[in-house]
Amino acid sequence: MSNVRSLVRAAAYLPAASSDGVRVAAFDEDAFTLGATAAERAWVDRDRPADPLVVHLIGEFPLVADWGFPVLLGRGTAEMVRHPGDAFELARAAREVEEAGEGPALVVAADLPERAPGGAGSTPSPFGAGAVALLFDTSAKPGPSRFEPTAQDRSAVALALRVGKKGHDRLRKEAWRGDWDLAPAAGRRIDMEQTLRGANRDLSAVSEGAYVPRARYFENLPSRWLFTADECGECHEATFPSRDVCRRCGRRDTLAPTSLPRDDVQVVAVTTIGRGGQPTEFDAQVQAAGPYQVALVEVANGIRITLQVTDAEAGEVRVGQRVNTLLRRLYPMEGEWRYGRKAVPRSLGDARSHPS
Amino acid sequence: MAHRAAIVGAGHTRFGVLDDGPRALIRSTVELAFASVDRGAERKDVSEAFLATLGFGGSQIGNSAAVLAEEAGVVGIPVTRVENACASGGFAIRSAVGALAARASPLVLVVGVEKMTDVSNARRRYWLGVSGDTEWERLAGLTFAGVYGLIASRYFTEHGDASEALAEVAVKNHENGALNPNAHFQRKITRADVRSAPLVADPLGLFDCCPVSDGAVALLLSPPEIARRFTDTPVYVDGLGAGTDPLAVQERAKLTSFRATQRAAHEAFRSAGWHRSDVSFLEVHDCFTIAELLALEDLGFAGPGEAAALTLSGETRRGGRLPVNPDGGLKSKGHPIGATGVSQAYEIFLQLRGEAGSRQVSHAGHALAQNVGGAGATAAVTLFSVG
Repeated sequence: MSNVRSLVRAAAYLPAASSDGVRVAAFDEDAFTLGATAAERAWVDRDRPADPLVVHLIGEFPLVADWGFPVLLGRGTAEMVRHPGDAFELARAAREVEEAGEGPALVVAADLPERAPGGAGSTPSPFGAGAVALLFDTSAKPGPSRFEPTAQDRSAVALALRVGKKGHDRLRKEAWRGDWDLAPAAGRRIDMEQTLRGANRDLSAVSEGAYVPRARYFENLPSRWLFTADECGECHEATFPSRDVCRRCGRRDTLAPTSLPRDDVQVVAVTTIGRGGQPTEFDAQVQAAGPYQVALVEVANGIRITLQVTDAEAGEVRVGQRVNTLLRRLYPMEGEWRYGRKAVPRSLGDARSHPS
Repeated sequence: MAHRAAIVGAGHTRFGVLDDGPRALIRSTVELAFASVDRGAERKDVSEAFLATLGFGGSQIGNSAAVLAEEAGVVGIPVTRVENACASGGFAIRSAVGALAARASPLVLVVGVEKMTDVSNARRRYWLGVSGDTEWERLAGLTFAGVYGLIASRYFTEHGDASEALAEVAVKNHENGALNPNAHFQRKITRADVRSAPLVADPLGLFDCCPVSDGAVALLLSPPEIARRFTDTPVYVDGLGAGTDPLAVQERAKLTSFRATQRAAHEAFRSAGWHRSDVSFLEVHDCFTIAELLALEDLGFAGPGEAAALTLSGETRRGGRLPVNPDGGLKSKGHPIGATGVSQAYEIFLQLRGEAGSRQVSHAGHALAQNVGGAGATAAVTLFSVG
C-alpha cells in the first residue's frame, strides 16, 4: 500500500486544572481551544509540507472550529472534515485517514468531561479533558502505523490512543456503570455551565458592554491569533497590530506580513486585578475562576502586547518572567465567544506539550 | 509674554454623590460663575460657549451643547462640546482661548460637567473604561485602574518600590481636600489606611484611586484687554499646550512617562516664556496616585524616578516649596470627568486671587494645570498668572 500515510508528528494538550486527579477544562477553555493548542504544537513551520492540508475533527467542536482552524493553521488548509461520533472514535478515524489519500492530514480530537458519551451534559467523564493532534503525511517514510500514546493523563483521547477502540469501549462501559468515582468533578462542571449561561445572557445585552463589532474582530484575527505584524521593507519598522500602513514612515506598498514569536516572550509589566476591579465583561469569569493578572508582554524588539494571564495563580507572574501564549476564550459578545491569545507561565506551557 | 485670555468669573458646585442631574448642575454652576464677577456680567455679553463632558452613562450622548445653551440661559449663541475623556476640561479651555483670539467676543463661557452616580453599577463600570483602548486593553481585562496598575508595576521595576510615595500622595491630597468645602472626601487619611485598603489593580489599592463623582464647574473668560471691565483681579491664561500619544499603552515606547504631557508642557512653557522656577504651585491629574508621580516628572519638576523622593520630602505639601493639588486633587476632591480640567482652573483662580481660605498657598503668583485623558493618550497643560 504505497499511499498509506505515516504519522510524522503528534502532540497532546491537557488542561492545567485538575479535580481529584481528573483534568478539567478551565473557564476559558473549550473543545476548540484544546484542539487548537494541540494542533499548533503538531503543525509547526519546520514540518509544513508543500501540499494543502486536510484537517479532520473528531469530537464535539463548536462552530468556530470550521473557520478557526484554517485561520490558525494558515492558508495551506484546503479542507475541513468533521467525523461522526465523539473523541472515542479517534482510533478508528485516525486509521481511516492514515490509509486513505496522500496529502498531509491533521487529525484533531478533543474531549471535554461534560461532553462524555452516553451521559447527560452534567455528568463528567472519568477520563478528563484533553486533545491530541496527529499529523500524517506520505512525505515521511511509509511504514506501519506508528500510533503511540503521547499523553500520560487519563483523557479520553489519550486512552483512545493507548487502548484502541475495543479497549476504550470496555473502559467506557465500566465507567458509566458507576465503577469510577465520578462525584468530585461533577459540582464544578455544573457550576461553570450555569455561570456560562448567565454570562451569555448578560453580555449579549449590547448596551451594558464594551463593543467590538464582529467585522473588527475578524479584521484583527491575524494579529490577535497569530501575532502577525506588518514589516516595512523601507524603514524596517514592524507595525502591530497590523493596520496596512507603516506606523513609522506611513508607507503602504512596502509592507510584508511577519509572524512574531508566540512563546518564550518577556513580561515587562504586570498587574493583578482585584475582585470587582475587572471590566463587566469578565464578571462571570471572576465569579467562576477568581482574580486574574494582565501582563504587558514584549514579543519582539519594541513590539508589546497586552495579554490576560491564564492557568496561573493571581500574583504568580512577575516582571521579567518569560511566558508562552495559548489560544483561549476571551470574552462572550452577542451570543458568541471571541477567542485570542493569553499568557501562561512558561514551565506550565512546556510541561503540557508532548511533541513526539 | 502677553496674556492670552483672562478668567473674570468662576463657579463650582459641590463634588460628590449629588441629587442634582446634569441640567441642574449646569444651571447652578453658571449662576455661581456670573455671581462671582466683581463688577457684574450679563448673559448677553457671552458670545460663545464650550461644554466639556464625556456624556457618562450615555443619557444625552449626542448634541449636549444645546443642553448647555438652555441651562446657561444663552440659547442662540454657538456652543461646542469638547470630548477628550478626562482631559475634556483642559481642551475646552484651550478652545475657548482660541475662540477669544479668533473673534472679538466680550465673554466666552466654559462649563465642565459630569453626572456619574445615577447609573446602574454595570453601566458605570462600562463607562469607566470607555476611554481606553477597547479591543486590546479593556477586552484583555483592564479598566483604567488596570492600565495604571501596569504603569505602576513598570515604574517600580525601573525606579524601585515607590509604594510609600504613592501612599503619601493620597495622604497629602486628602489633607488638602479636608479643607475644601467642595471636595467629595473632606477627611484626612493615614499611610496605613492606604496600605490596608482592598486591592484594585496591584500595586494600586482603593485609596490610590480617585472616586466616581458628580459635579460641574464654569469659567467666564474675556480678552485680557477688557478684563478690568469685569474685575480688578483677573487671572490670566499665559501659556497653552496640548498633546497626544497612542491610545493603547502597548503602542508606546515607554510606560513610565506620558509623552502627551511632556509635549504639552514644552509648548505651554515656550508659548508663555516661563521657566519651571516661575511656577508657585501645580494642579495635576492624580486620577491614580502613580499619575501624580508621572506628572511631576513629565512636567519637568523632577527627573525620571525622582518624583517619589520629592513627594516623600514634603515639598509638594501645601506649605512646601512646590505645593501640588492644594484643592485635594482628583483623589480627594473627586473626578467628575468633564468637570475636572475646569475645576483645576477654578482652584487656580481662587489661589491666585488669594481667595482660597484655609487652604491658601502663600506667595502664589504663577500656577500650572495639567489635565490628562485616559492613561495619557491626551493631555493639556495651561499656565496662569495674576497681576
